[in-house]
Amino acid sequence: MSVARFGTEHFALRPLEASDVEALQAYLNEPEMIGRRYTPWGIRDIAPLSRKQVEGILEKWSSEKKGFTLGIELRETGELVGHAECNWHWDVHCPGIGIAVSPQHQREGIASEAVRLLLGHLFEDTPAHNVSGWVMSWNEAGLAFAKALGFTESGRVPRSGIREGAYCEAVMVDLLKPEWLAAKGESNGA
Amino acid sequence: MALEGRLVVLREERKEDQKLFTELRNDLETQGWNTALPPTYTESMYLKRFDAMEFSYERDSARFSVDRKESGELAGYITYSDLEERLGATIGIAIAKPFWGTGVAFDAQEVLLRFLFLELGLRVVHLWSHSGNARALGLAEKAGFLITGRVREGMYKNGKLLDTIVMSVLREEYFGFHPELEDLLPDPIDPTAATR
Repeated sequence: MSVARFGTEHFALRPLEASDVEALQAYLNEPEMIGRRYTPWGIRDIAPLSRKQVEGILEKWSSEKKGFTLGIELRETGELVGHAECNWHWDVHCPGIGIAVSPQHQREGIASEAVRLLLGHLFEDTPAHNVSGWVMSWNEAGLAFAKALGFTESGRVPRSGIREGAYCEAVMVDLLKPEWLAAKGESNGA
Repeated sequence: MALEGRLVVLREERKEDQKLFTELRNDLETQGWNTALPPTYTESMYLKRFDAMEFSYERDSARFSVDRKESGELAGYITYSDLEERLGATIGIAIAKPFWGTGVAFDAQEVLLRFLFLELGLRVVHLWSHSGNARALGLAEKAGFLITGRVREGMYKNGKLLDTIVMSVLREEYFGFHPELEDLLPDPIDPTAATR
């Protein structure tokens, strides 16, 4: 597998280490990140996280057997600005993905490129047929981002959380391999 | 007070139930998994799982054995998992084939829903199934569940590509199905607030 699979000229997708705890805690605790941190199942995504809790997140990620989470590190500065996750807890046929980028580095194309790298890996290096994810319904920008990358909205699971006095839905999005191949062909001018 | 319906009683699982649970896991039609598991589980494995269960007040899941009231026969099991207190949970059911079409599965589902809405005070209950399981989808629809999500072609079973299906029933929908019940639990959310 090409190492280029996990990076661009702008950033590297690289393993997270215990020494990343401070940088990780810093961007996870940005107020804008609450509710869309894409941390492991079972960790409540509603309040600021202590160093010990973030160490627990790193521990969970490092012991993941059916998937991986990589840090997004800017090549120019070495700054950790986000993380990209994929897992196949159910079946490698239908893995899930998630992406989180610190508010200071959103709208720089980092998340789009990172998702494209993960899709390339899953569809070309694994037996994946469908790649899915979820976005909370209040995160309209996140949903627009997923759709711009070719994902289709495939459901809205009600009462998946409570936020600012209202229930919110988990919006399910997915992308089939034939759709990804067709879009890739078009972008290559085929 | 037992968790009792018209046809069934839901109770704690017991050691002697593990034989049927093993059989349900070894039947591709009842094993209740999104991808096929090898039908090679043993009763001994199930007994070890049973013996490993520990006491806790902090439960986010439960498995109930389903007994047919009339005969006292064990018919299968029903579960809830991923409990978010006072908000939601996901249910699952596996009933042995001799009890299919007898109303046992529907009654077990009704008894569990009553527990989840009237005792645990949930606002929504979900279940996961697939587009090839008309029996499970029909059972859920009959209790008020609606399809709320899917993963297209997310499953491959019995030689077919199938959609993974999520179904949900809201608390007020459940009470709408049961006019004999009155909902006295205040909604934590202003009912006029739009979904965010």
